[in-house]
Amino acid sequence: MGFSALLVLGCIATLVFFLLSKGWPAWNTQLFFGNTNPLDAILGRAPLWEGIWSAFMGTLCLIAATMALVLLPGIGCGIFLAEYASPAWNKRLSTAIDLLAGAPSIVMGLFGFTLILFLRRTFLPEANTCLLLAAGCLSLLVTPVLVVNTREALEAVPRSIKLAASSLGFSKNQIVFRVALPMAVGGIVSGAILAMGRSAEDTAVIMLTGAVANAGLPSSLLAKFEALPFTIYYTMAHYQTQEELNLAFGAALLLLLLATVMVILAKGLELGHQYFWQGEVPSVLQ
Amino acid sequence: MEYPKKTHDFSWAQTYVYLAAGFVLASVILLVVMIVVFAGPALLEQGNLGIFTWHWNPYQGHFGILPMVMGSIILSFSALFLALPLAISLCGLMLTAPKHLAVKVLQAAIRFMTAIPTVVYAFVGVLLLTPLVRLTFAGSGLSLLTATLVLALLIMPTMVLVLNSGLGFKLDELCPHGLAIGLDKFELLWFFVFPRSKKTFLAAGLLGFGRAVGDTLIPLMLAGNAPQVPQGLGQSLRTLSAHMALVTANEVGGAAYSSLFMAGFLLLGISALVSIISRALVKN
Amino acid sequence: MKRMYILSLSLLLCLLTMSTVQAATLDAFQGQKGTINIAGGTAHIPVMKAAAQSIMTSVPDIRITVTGGGSGVGVQQVGEGLVDIGNTGRALKDSEIEKYGLQTFPFAIDGVAVAVHPENPVNGLTKDQLIKIFTGEITHWQDVGGSDAPITLYVREDGSGTRETFEERALDKATPSSNSNVSNSNGAMKTMISQDKNAIGYVGIGHLDASTKAVTIDGMEPSQENAQNGSYTITRLLYMNTKGEPQGLVRLFIDYVYSEDGQGFISAAGYIPVIKD
Repeated sequence: MGFSALLVLGCIATLVFFLLSKGWPAWNTQLFFGNTNPLDAILGRAPLWEGIWSAFMGTLCLIAATMALVLLPGIGCGIFLAEYASPAWNKRLSTAIDLLAGAPSIVMGLFGFTLILFLRRTFLPEANTCLLLAAGCLSLLVTPVLVVNTREALEAVPRSIKLAASSLGFSKNQIVFRVALPMAVGGIVSGAILAMGRSAEDTAVIMLTGAVANAGLPSSLLAKFEALPFTIYYTMAHYQTQEELNLAFGAALLLLLLATVMVILAKGLELGHQYFWQGEVPSVLQ
Repeated sequence: MEYPKKTHDFSWAQTYVYLAAGFVLASVILLVVMIVVFAGPALLEQGNLGIFTWHWNPYQGHFGILPMVMGSIILSFSALFLALPLAISLCGLMLTAPKHLAVKVLQAAIRFMTAIPTVVYAFVGVLLLTPLVRLTFAGSGLSLLTATLVLALLIMPTMVLVLNSGLGFKLDELCPHGLAIGLDKFELLWFFVFPRSKKTFLAAGLLGFGRAVGDTLIPLMLAGNAPQVPQGLGQSLRTLSAHMALVTANEVGGAAYSSLFMAGFLLLGISALVSIISRALVKN
Repeated sequence: MKRMYILSLSLLLCLLTMSTVQAATLDAFQGQKGTINIAGGTAHIPVMKAAAQSIMTSVPDIRITVTGGGSGVGVQQVGEGLVDIGNTGRALKDSEIEKYGLQTFPFAIDGVAVAVHPENPVNGLTKDQLIKIFTGEITHWQDVGGSDAPITLYVREDGSGTRETFEERALDKATPSSNSNVSNSNGAMKTMISQDKNAIGYVGIGHLDASTKAVTIDGMEPSQENAQNGSYTITRLLYMNTKGEPQGLVRLFIDYVYSEDGQGFISAAGYIPVIKD
C-alpha cells in the first residue's frame, strides 16, 4: 500500500516539477504581453499577439458569462430537488441530471456547434460561434455540479430546524428561503466555485464553439475569443519554435494555478461555513 | 392594536424554482433529442447499418466507426484496470494509517489532483511521457500505453474520494467494537469491510470508467489516432471522443458528419448506462 | 512540362474566376472598422497572423481573429458563414464550390516534402519505394538503404490539404496503411518526426527546419524554387476562399495579402508568393 502511494505521489510530483521548471522561467511580461507595452495592452489600446494575456482575460470572461447563465437555473433546480419535488419528479429530474453529469464534454461541444448551424439556417442567419454560445454550452456542462451541491447542502440542514420553524408558523416557502437556504449557502458557494473551475479548464466544448488561436482581448459576447486551455492545446499541436512551446508551458502553469486556487477556495469556504454553523471542523476526508 | 402586515410568502420564489427546474429539464431533453435526431440518418445513410463496419476511410467512402468504439472501450478498461487497484490501496492507506503528516500530505495531494485540468495532463504526457514510452517500445510513443497511464492518473483521485466516503463510513461503524476485541484497523478493513463493499467498489469503478470514456483531450493527444483496433500496448488507437474532435470540422452533412452524431449518441448511451447502473447499485 | 502546364492552367482558371484584385497598402485600411474571422489551413497561419498584426497595429478599430483547424475546417466554416475567409491548402472541389458558392484566391505556392529524422541515413527514395512504405509493404528501413529498424508512419488528419496533396501527387492516390499515426498540423508532424528516429512523414516545405530532414523523391530536391519552376512536382497552392464576392473589409484584406507587404509576409513564412498584376 505504501508503495502505491509513493508511486502516485512520485508521478504527481514529477508533473508539477516539470511544469514549474519549464513554466516558471517563462513567467515574465513577455509571456503575457509579447512585445506590446503591458499598460497599452490591458487598456486595449494596442493589439496583443504573442502573449497569453488575452487568453487569460478570455478565460475570465468565459467564467463570468458561464456563471451568469448557470447560477439561477442551477441553484433553483437544486432547491427544487431538495425541497419541492414530488418523489416521481425527483426521480425523473435526478436521472436527467445524472445523464447530464455523465455526458462527455465533446458531446456538449458538438451540440453547441449543431445548434448554431441550426439557428443560422432558421431564425438567426447572423448567428456565429461566439463567447455566448461557448458559455451556454459550458453552463450546461457545469449545471450538474451546481445542482448536486445545492441539493446536498440543503439536505444537510437538520430536519429539526425545519420542523421548529414550521411549528412557529413559517410557511413552506419561508422555511426554505429564510431558514434553510442561508444555512446552505456555504455548500452552494463552494459548488459555484467548483463549477467555475470546471468551466475554466474545459477544452473540448470551447474548441467547437468559438475559441480561436488569436483574437485579442475579448470584445463582445458575440465575438470569437481566446481561452487558456484552447491556447495550450493549440500551441501543443501547432508550435513552430521553442518560444511558442514556452508560451504553452507558461499558460499551463497559469491554468493549473487558477484551478488549484479555486479548489482550495471552495474547500476552505465549505469548511469555514460548516465551522460557523456547527462549531466544529469536520473530518478533512469529507 | 395593529398587527404587522402579513409577511412575504415567497411565492415568487417558488415560481422561480419551478421555472429553473423546468429550464434545466428542457435543456437536457433538447440535448438528447438533437443528438438522437441527427444520429438517425447515420444509420440509414450507408444502408443497412453501414456505419457499424471496421473501416474508416472517408476518401474511399468508408465510414465505419467500430474501430473507434473498440478504441474507447479498450482504453477505458485498461485505465480502469490500472487505476482501481491503485485507488483501493491508496484508500486503504488513508483509512488505516495513523494520522501521520505523510498521510495528510497524501490527502492533500489527492485533492490537488482532482483540480488538475485534463489538458495539463495531456500536455505533460506528450512532452514527458511520450519520449519515455518510445524508448521502451520503439514506435512513435503515442499509443495505448501512454494514453492508459495518463488516463489512469486522471481518474484515480475521484475514485479514491468515492471509496473513502463509502468505506470510511463502514469502517467507522466497526471500529470501536473491532478494536476492542484486538483487531487492528487494517485487519478490520481487509477482513470485514472489503468483502461487504462490493457495491462501493463497483460504484467507484463505474465512475472511473464513465470519466475515462468521456475524456477527449488525453486520447486525442496521446493515443495516436489511427482508426484501427490496437493489437498491442504499443499500438495507436482512436477513441470515439477523439474521433469527434478530429472530424467535426470537416463536412457539414454527408456520411462523415452523421457518423459524429452516432459517435456522440454512443457516448451518451454509454454514460447513461453507467449512471443508471450506479443508481441501481446505490438504491440496493 | 506537364507539371508546368497544369500549374499555369490552374492559375489561369483562378484568374478567370476572380474579380480584379488590386494590390492594396495599409493606407486603404485607415478609417475602417469591423471584424474579419479567418480559419482553415495551418500552413497559412504565419502569413495570416503577420498581415493581421500589421493591420491591427495601424488601425486598432479593426479586429481580426485567426485560427487553424485544417483545410476541411476552412471550407466548412467559410461555407457555413461562420468565418469570412476560409483557408485551404488544396484546390476547392467542384462540389464545394457549387454547394457553398465559394470564390477562391490562390496566394502562395508551397511544396510538400517527405521528411525523416535528421539522423536517418536515408537521403532519397524512389516514388515506388515511397508508395510501398506508406501502404505498409515495406516496413523496415534496411529495405531502402537505412538502418535496421522498423518504419513508423506519420500522416495528417482527414481534412488536411497537405495530406490530400501528398496522397495525390506523391502516392499516386494509394491509401496509406491504417497503422499510421495521425497528427493535426505541420507543427505537430515536425515534433513527432524530430522525436522519433524511425519516423517518416510529410510537411510543407515552408515549415522545414533543422528539426527534420527532407528526402529527395525520384531525384527531385524539395525546395521552394524547385516548386516554383516545376522541377519538384509535389506542390500545392495555398488558397484564401470566401463565400461569394468578398466585400468591404474582407476585400481589402485579400488585396493586402496580394500587395507588396503581403508578399513580404509570404516569403518570410517560407512560401513563394503568387504575383498578381
